[in-house]
Amino acid sequence: MQEERFPGYKWLPYLLVAPSIAVIVIFLVVPFVQSVRGSFFISTPFGTKTIYVGLRNYIRLFSSPDYQNSILTTLAFSAFVIIIGLSISLGIAQLLNQKIRGLGFYQVALIWTYALSPAIAGVIWALMFAPATGLVPYIVSRLSGGYVLNWMTNGRIALLVVAAAATWKMLGYNIVFLLAGLQNVPNALMEAARVDGAGPWKAFWRITFPMLSPTTTFLLFVNMLYAFFQVFGLIDIMTRGGPGNATEILVYKLYRDGFIHLNTGSASAQSFVVFFVISIAAITQLRIATRKAIYAR
Amino acid sequence: MTRVMEDMTMLKKPKTKLTSFFSLKNRINVGPKHKWALVGLAVLLSIPTVSVFAAEKVEITWWHAMSGSRLKVVDAIVESFNANHPDIELKPLFTGTYAETLTKFIVSYRTGTAPNLVQVYEVGTQTMIDSEAILPVYQIPGMLGETWDWAQYVIPITNYYSVEGNLWSMPFNSSSAMLYYNKDLFAQAGLDPNKPPTTWKEMEEYGEQILASGVVDYVYSGGWPGWIWEQTLGYHNHLYADNDNGRAGLAKKVVFNDEFGHMVFETMVRLHDKGIYIYGGPEYAANSAFKAGQIAMLIQSTSSLAGILKASEFEVGTSFLPRFEGYPIGNSLVGGGSLWVTKGKSEEELRAVWEFLKYLGQTEIAIQWHKGTGYFPVTNAALKALLDEGWFSNQTYLTAFLEILSGRRDTAAATGARLGPFVEMREHFRAALEKAIAGELSPREALDEAAEKMNQLLRDYYELYGG
Repeated sequence: MQEERFPGYKWLPYLLVAPSIAVIVIFLVVPFVQSVRGSFFISTPFGTKTIYVGLRNYIRLFSSPDYQNSILTTLAFSAFVIIIGLSISLGIAQLLNQKIRGLGFYQVALIWTYALSPAIAGVIWALMFAPATGLVPYIVSRLSGGYVLNWMTNGRIALLVVAAAATWKMLGYNIVFLLAGLQNVPNALMEAARVDGAGPWKAFWRITFPMLSPTTTFLLFVNMLYAFFQVFGLIDIMTRGGPGNATEILVYKLYRDGFIHLNTGSASAQSFVVFFVISIAAITQLRIATRKAIYAR
Repeated sequence: MTRVMEDMTMLKKPKTKLTSFFSLKNRINVGPKHKWALVGLAVLLSIPTVSVFAAEKVEITWWHAMSGSRLKVVDAIVESFNANHPDIELKPLFTGTYAETLTKFIVSYRTGTAPNLVQVYEVGTQTMIDSEAILPVYQIPGMLGETWDWAQYVIPITNYYSVEGNLWSMPFNSSSAMLYYNKDLFAQAGLDPNKPPTTWKEMEEYGEQILASGVVDYVYSGGWPGWIWEQTLGYHNHLYADNDNGRAGLAKKVVFNDEFGHMVFETMVRLHDKGIYIYGGPEYAANSAFKAGQIAMLIQSTSSLAGILKASEFEVGTSFLPRFEGYPIGNSLVGGGSLWVTKGKSEEELRAVWEFLKYLGQTEIAIQWHKGTGYFPVTNAALKALLDEGWFSNQTYLTAFLEILSGRRDTAAATGARLGPFVEMREHFRAALEKAIAGELSPREALDEAAEKMNQLLRDYYELYGG
């Protein structure tokens, strides 16, 4: 027989968790159930008429070239933000993790980008790359002898610019965590490696990188969520999903269909798809991470 | 894990501690001092309620999407209205972009917290007509026992917002599209600065000459591609969609991808490929290039006029949109927004809203609005007063008006389309143009693809509203 944990206060634990449960139910569970339900209907914006359409919203979605394109765009975008972003951050963190003059200045200079709001970051990048008046197209055209860098008409360049802006914006956050991780790598281990004749390259891959794995796993997950959801503001300011649909990632398409085009049925279906994709990715990552990451000291 | 277990066992033992923690009596000492503080707080909280009872003003709310310099004009007009109507308190609220304002209005209507008056952009017109949430303005005077002369408003504008000859929303900020050009650059390129291109053939010829002269890298750009497309069709008296542009009944398909439409679209793409036209994004991004003298011409909303005149250090010329020769003549279309009245409010509030709508039509207010923002004055009286005053002696301002007043107004094609899913349809056009000039699709494929997507949207809309 199990011993009571709160003798004499049978309902206390339930009472204590009730506020959290209530918040979760009201703000997460109920809307989730509503959108799942909504994904089987089409309805007028003002809710005057609702028609049950079964799976049609989903079928339309997956047979739509625009949606397939949006999935590919999201994958390419996230891959860029995660892989390039984390690699650069790790490199910079490694450089910052040494005793040099003016270290504090460098650290702040490289970390502050995270303090910017996505809207401000978007405006800065949009101005820098403005086709007719921006600094970057001007430099490119000077260096290349007249090449016109116009991301407003070139989807690939637009995606690259937005991905670069998103990566830049996240650098500060990544660097803080990686730097903390690097500073936790015991000096004794590195010295032992050096005594055993390991070069810096080998020491990095054999000691630093594995020791960093809990941080890296965490950052992988956070960056994925960032690339999927939080870049919304950046895209809204810089490209609004264009040119064509070149930068229309899943969450942006969802927003436009639901809140601009007032097509709630399709938007509900899309939100369920995004939820599903993110859940699968999260579960996979956590599985691999708990198996591979080295937490023990 | 073991640490957690320890914490748990620790929690279990000291029963007495828990009791004392949860006994409020021991924790908060409600002494006499605290009681007075509570009474004071209660009095403070009740003050706002008291003042509301004392004033007895009719409070009405208005949600709009006017930001920047336009917001100042809105606030000034509201302030003078409130000062002139001591029994009414009109509260304006900027609720974001047009799209955001419409979304907020929908949500607020469904939750019963809608404002009395809301500004909606012209593409949202059919959505509002079908909403069952609004009171058509033509019905309001009758409900209040008044009569009203609707003929005092400028006809091409009221036509746009009318259903079967009855006005559904109050014209507020109306604009159209026109051609802006840089007279200094024209002169430098050896062109007559007082002869802007009038046809697309001339656009191409002038464009080649300007490019050859080397004064700029690109000749012209523009904003709002989907809207300019509608303008071009209306300007040539060409229908956008069937069922008389959706004005005789819900439209079921678009009809612009015929020989004329393909010719227009291919011209746009060809001028791009020749380097004459540079794509300028979905809204106003091209204006800065024009103001900086980096392009010689700009096709943009007339509402950009004030901003362009203010920021340009060269002589700005304006002209009608270029035409394609040999095709019928229609009219430029009305763009911008109008004001919609929410239904289901009290008669008292409705009367206050109506007072405000009448106030906006007063000649001096209409002139104040026009001069402050560049939007058209909505009444004939205001237009006449401006003419008498000599306001239009500046030819650039005149162009903006003649653009809309001069064309024919008796066909649905020249009035413009009214479609349910218009917002999304415009975006499909924009995407088609972007794909065609990027070389992803041929102009013909891009336009046909857009038309097909738009037809699907129209069918979906018909499924919801047509049955």
